[in-house]
Parts: sequence; C-alpha cells; structure tokens
Amino acid sequence: MIPSTTTAHNPTAHSHNAQDFCVEEFSVTARHRESVSQGVNPRWNISTFLSTFPSIMTVSSKYCPLLLVVSLFFTPGCAFLSDWDDSAAPLVPHFTACVSREMTTFSCWWNPGSFQNLTSSQDIKIIYHKKSPIKSEWNECPQYDFQNRECYFDAKHTEVWVTYCLEIHVHNVTYTNEDDCFTLNDIVRPDPPVALNWTLLNLSPSGLRYDVLVSWDHPPSADVNSGWMSVEYQLQFREVNSTKWKDMEIQSQPKQTIYGLHIEREYEVHIRCSMKPYSKFGEFSKSIFIQVTGTGDDGTSFPVMLVLIFGISGIVIIIMFIVVSQQQRIMMILLPPVPAPKIKGIDSELIKKGKLEELNLMLSGGGVGGLPAHAPDFYQDEPWVEFIEVDTEAADCGEKEENQGSDTQRLLTLSQPVPPHMHIGTCNVNCFPGDDSGLASCYDPDHPDQDPLISMVTLLPGQPEDREGVSDRGLDPVRATAPQTWVNTDFYAQVSNVMPSGGVVLSPGQQLRVQENKDESKKGSNPKACEENATDVHFQLLVVDPEMTESKQNSTPSTPPGSVEGYQTVPPQTLESRPTEELQSTYILPPESPQSPVFTPVADYTVVQEVNSQHSLLLNPPAQQVPPPSCQSQHPLKPLPAMTVDYITPELFGHLSK
Amino acid sequence: MILQETSLEDTDMDRSKGRKLFMTVLCLVAVSGALPIADLLDRAAQHSDRLHSLSTLLTQEMDTHFPFMEQGTTPQPSQCHTSTLEGPTDKVQALQVSEHTLMSLLRSLLQSWAEPLAFLSASANTLPHPAHSSIFNKIQQLQQNSKSLRHGLDILSARMGPAAQVVSILPFYRNDPGDKISKLINLQFQLNCFRRDSDKIDSFLKVLRCRSGRMRPDLC
Repeated sequence: MIPSTTTAHNPTAHSHNAQDFCVEEFSVTARHRESVSQGVNPRWNISTFLSTFPSIMTVSSKYCPLLLVVSLFFTPGCAFLSDWDDSAAPLVPHFTACVSREMTTFSCWWNPGSFQNLTSSQDIKIIYHKKSPIKSEWNECPQYDFQNRECYFDAKHTEVWVTYCLEIHVHNVTYTNEDDCFTLNDIVRPDPPVALNWTLLNLSPSGLRYDVLVSWDHPPSADVNSGWMSVEYQLQFREVNSTKWKDMEIQSQPKQTIYGLHIEREYEVHIRCSMKPYSKFGEFSKSIFIQVTGTGDDGTSFPVMLVLIFGISGIVIIIMFIVVSQQQRIMMILLPPVPAPKIKGIDSELIKKGKLEELNLMLSGGGVGGLPAHAPDFYQDEPWVEFIEVDTEAADCGEKEENQGSDTQRLLTLSQPVPPHMHIGTCNVNCFPGDDSGLASCYDPDHPDQDPLISMVTLLPGQPEDREGVSDRGLDPVRATAPQTWVNTDFYAQVSNVMPSGGVVLSPGQQLRVQENKDESKKGSNPKACEENATDVHFQLLVVDPEMTESKQNSTPSTPPGSVEGYQTVPPQTLESRPTEELQSTYILPPESPQSPVFTPVADYTVVQEVNSQHSLLLNPPAQQVPPPSCQSQHPLKPLPAMTVDYITPELFGHLSK
Repeated sequence: MILQETSLEDTDMDRSKGRKLFMTVLCLVAVSGALPIADLLDRAAQHSDRLHSLSTLLTQEMDTHFPFMEQGTTPQPSQCHTSTLEGPTDKVQALQVSEHTLMSLLRSLLQSWAEPLAFLSASANTLPHPAHSSIFNKIQQLQQNSKSLRHGLDILSARMGPAAQVVSILPFYRNDPGDKISKLINLQFQLNCFRRDSDKIDSFLKVLRCRSGRMRPDLC
C-alpha cells in the first residue's frame, strides 16, 4: 500500500479534482494549486481515484473516459520521459526537456509560454526537491541560464538514484505539470561520438563494390574509462540522394564495417550512442561522406569476364546440339550393341517364328540367303568346333554332277554317273591327314560308298525333297551299296572328348574317326578302329570332392562291358595335384589309357538321379541300352519315323541305332 | 507479448546455461584460484546486465496495461525497504569508495531482495493483470538470476578479503493488502524499487570491473 500523504478527501472535492484531473490530462495546463506549495502531495491517490471512478463518470463530463483513454497515449506528467513536441506548446510555463549527458550533471529547459520578458530571477524560479529519506526542502535551481532558458544542475547537486521534482514559479505562481519527477537514469542521453572516419577495406573482384571500415571514438563527456558509463553505438548510413537511412546493429565496439557499397556513389554516415542499460539515444553526430571513385581496371576486367562467360556458354550449347543431333551415333560408339546370336544370312525372325522349313532351306544353302560357301574364318583356330564346310570347290564339284541347286542334295547324291569317290576326293579338300580341323563331315574318300548324310537327312525335318529322295532311293540299296561303318555322322554332332592325339570323340553311338586311320586300309581297320573307338568311347564323369585327399583314378567300374545295370555309379575322384582345392564343377577328363575297358556308354543327356552317400552320382539309365557301335555288324539303318523334334532324345537315338 | 515471452524463455535457457557455467567457473576458481578477479567480475557484470534488463522489461510490462498508475508509482526512496542502505549516490563517491565497501553493499542489496522476490512471485500468480503469467515467469527468472549472482558475489568477496564479507540484510515487511488493486499497486511499486536497486548493482559492478582490469581496456 502506498502510504499517501494526502488525507481523505470529501467526495465533492474528489469529483472536483477528478474533473480537473481529466481536463488537465487532455489540455496539459498547469494547475494553479496552492496546495502544492504547501507541501501537500499533489499526486492523485490512485485507489481513491479508482473508487470514485463511477462517480466521475456521472459527475464529470462525458468526455472524461475519452480523455482517460487519450491519456493512455499521452502522459504529460512524464514530460521528461517522453519526447516533447514543442509545437503544440500551451501558454503556461513548462519544462520542455531535461537531459543528462554523462550521468553526472543535467540540465532542464523551460518554456515561458505566454509570459515574455522572463529575464531575471525575480520573474522565474525553478524549484526542485529531491525525494530522499531525509525530507529535504525545496531548493532553487543552482544555475540559471536565461538566454537558453536552461537550468543547469552541476555535479554537486546531482544525485543518481534520487527522484527529482521540478517546478516553475512565475511571479509567485507555481506552475507545475503533474509529477515532473524523474530519476537521473531516465534522462541520460549521451553525446554523439566523435572522430568519425572511414577507411577502405577491400574492393570486390569486379571492381564495382567495396567494403568500408568506419571507426570513431566515444564521446569525451562520457566517462567510459572508469566504468561509470557503458555506451552502445548505432550507425546509420544512406546514399546521399535517398531519404531513407539504413540502420546498423547496435553494438559497443567503436568500429563498424559496412559491406557492399557501390563505386561512384556517395554515402552519408552518422552515428549516435546510448547508455547501455537505458536505451535512450543521444543526438546524431555530424555526417561524414564516403565515396570511392572507380579506377581504370573496371573497364578491362569486367568485359573480359563477360566475354569468357559467354564464350564458354556458347561452346557448351554447341556441344549440346552436337550431342543431341548425333545421339544415335554417339550411343553406337560409346555403347556398341551386343550382337545377338545370329547366323549370317539367316534372319533371326525366322527362328523366332518357328519357320523351320525355310530355316533348313537356308541352312542347307538353298534359296537366296544361303549359308556362305566358306566357313567363317574366326573358327579356324578352334579345332574342336565342328562345322560343315561347303566351299567353292564343292561347288565346282557340284557342277560336274547333276546340279540340283542345293548343297544337301549334292552331298546326298548317290546315283551319279561320276564315281563318288572321285567326286568326293576332289571335293573334300579339307580332309587332310593330320588335319586337326576336326571336321566331322570329313569322311574317308576311300570309301565312296559312304553316305554320311543319310541319317542327317532323316533328322532334318521338312525336307520333303530329300526325304523323298531318300525314300525313293530307299535305304536298302544304300545299305547294300554302302556297307559302311561311318554312319550317323550328322550335321551337328556332339563332341564328347578330345583325344590327346588330336582326334575328337563324338557322343556315344557314333564312331570315332581317327585321323591316323584315314590313310590305312579301312576295311580291315575298321573293326580295329571300331574297337579303338569303342574303347575310347567312354567317358568318365568325375565329381571332385574336396574332402577326398587322395586321388582315385577311376578307370573302370568293375562292370563288365555291356552289362546291363540299373544304374551306373561314378565314384568321386579328386585331382591329385591339389587336394585342398575348392570344389570344382564337374568336368570331363580324357581317358587315361586307350586300353581302358569299355563300359556302357552313357547317353547324350543323362539325368542325374541323386547323389549317394559316397558322393557318387546316380545317373538315369538310358531308355534303352544302346549297344556300342558295333564293329561286328554293320550299322543298320532304320527308317526313322517322321519327327519334328529339334534334338535327339535317348529314345530317338535308340531308334536310330537299331 | 508472446514473442517477448519466448525470447525471454530462450534467454532464460541461455541464462540457466550461463548460470551453470558461471557456477562451475566460480567453483573452479574457488578451488584453483586460477581465474583472475577481472574475469569473474566481468561475468558478474553480465549477470547484472541481464538482471537489470529483466527488471526494466517487467516494469514496462506492468505499466503497459495500467499507464495511469505510472505516475503514482514512482517510488519515493523512503518507501523502498532498501532505502536505508547508505551508498554512493554519484559518480565521484562511487569512484572513491573502496572495493570492499562496494562489494559488501552489493551483496547486502542482493540479499535483501531475496525474500521480497519470493513473496512477490507468490503474489504475482493471482494478479488481476492480463499478463500475469508472463509477469510471474519474469519474476521467477529474476529470482534465479539474482540467486546465481548472489552466489557469484559470495565467491568473489571470499577472494577479496574480510572487509567485503560484511553484509547487512534489511528487513522487508510483508504488507498484504486485502484487495487486489492494492496488491497490484504494491507489486508495481516494489518492482520499481527493485529496478532501481538493480540499476545500482549494475553500475557498481561495472565500476568494480573496470577498476579490477586496469590492463584490459575491453572491460571498461
């Protein structure tokens, strides 16, 4: 509770005073109050004021609440706390401002109002009193300055954390505003800083902008060194011809950097400061002007940069155009397409559509897109690749005989006036002894009766001509005329082995053509070759088991050749060279010795049934036990059923072989 | 208003962190004695800066809603409970007085406000003021800040000697007016008293700081 020095007022006095209060709030007129000079606290007792507010509403004019609201924005009692606008000066003497510059002294300025000629101390008196614990008397202004209408309080008369209340006495009449009281920290406004100057920090690379360091010194009146005042600065700058100032941050260092000023423009800079806790700024200093003129470098460096930039962008655009227009070619160069598996001269579309008739036609060389006469060159150095060579000499050969226009028929000609062996001999230019080309179709020229292509013909479906031809001719005459051992040499034969000597072992059911045997007399050697071939026609399926350290060479299962067994077991073996090697995939070893006994040949495609405990593979037996290519008997030819399969199954093969 | 609150909360976070840092630094100092007094005083001055700005904000917030109370609440020195503490009242005196006297005066002031702040924060909760929650928060922050400053000054004074240990705690009379308006007025008045005292504390600490760091112009 505020201990108030006022005594309780009677309601009428209340209302009267309230009205006056409202009026004064609005018009800011000093009240003639004798009670003030008597020391009665003129301040309004707020509680009583509030309690009498309803009465005020009724008693006083209806503008009072409005005035009260207006008073929210305008507190004339704190004339020294808010900035005073002197233009709406009332007619009574009043104080315009009180300012302390260094928190040691302060000054107050008054306005005489309607009174003129207040030049002496007799006319006007400034009285103040300090609200201190010790009830001090009212004192007069220690120093008058009538010229400036200033009352100056020096250091002796200034106390910091004390409330001062000032009044004006003119002709013994007291004029006072409501509570012209203040404490020193409310009125501190430091002087502006001094020695404002600037230095150029740096220039931008383009030469159009620069940075500036502005520095100054604290106002000399502010005693910063002893710590009595701590000062903060605020810089403002603007272009000379603009009206808006740009504020910089408030900070306490006596220097500030301004970035990004333009060349050839003039800037104006000024600064002001405030005491740190109080946030009331003093006046601005005088402005300084900053201007930096451009140097000659601006002209040359900048266009060079521009030219460079444009040039590079132009080049980039051109490259983009090239890339976009030549996209396909570049893609071809950079990412060449993977060649699809393709036979030259044969459209892959045909294969996709399943048109095997045309395909066979083409394969056989008939039609437009026939196979090339020469074998592709890139297979020359791979002897194990078998292919059919139908070359130009064959074509020449073909001319000698009746030219049926197809290679197949040429190969198949049986009834020809020309002795076949001669024909064959001249035509088979690739069949040289010791030739490692491994041509399956290279048959012995000494056996003119061979017709290696009979079975192939039968295998190739959709060749009505040939079949017809075959059927016309019948197989019997062939059988009769060609007691041959070289049958079942197909266009496509599966290589099952490569002999160390260089020969090729075909899949079982066919006989091996040993190159060395070509030049010998074949009739007699045939069975021998048969045997040899038979001996060689076996293969071993080796499963490498890493756990097995010793190598077991399985040359023979102890099965007699030709014995019929439900299953054939192939025990596992390991390489003796590297016992700790990783598990290898199944591979085929060449037979160790040609003397190894024959065991039942395995079909081309065999299904692995299971792996038993000894890590041996149990294979499916072939559908029919195919007897080894008999050397004893001639290989009979059988008429084959018409079939349209693409590959030989064991059943079919059985048919063939029987 | 809300922005003000959040910013103050953020500063409160910083302040609590700063306070902890301050405390650890001071503890280290108490143990090792390595940190010079100048730095300690610098830290204490920063604390008092925040204290003063907080109290100024608080009084402004109180006044924004009841401007007409401003006139009636400029505290008379005789009415603040710390008015009997004698201290320098102008610059000359402040610069003449010894450090120990200043330090003991500071500590007395702070100690004297410990209890009243607690009381005021309790009464601020039930204020008939539109922003009473924010005021309550600020008073709480004031409490914490002054507490940490108190501890810091205790440690500082321990290093300064026995003369700085003299502390006089002034009594505070809790007058609990019945009606709420009077409570409001009382609170505003007390906060103004506190603002004045925090201003004193701030000024004295800055004088002390500058005095202690003669070789370091950045402290002044």
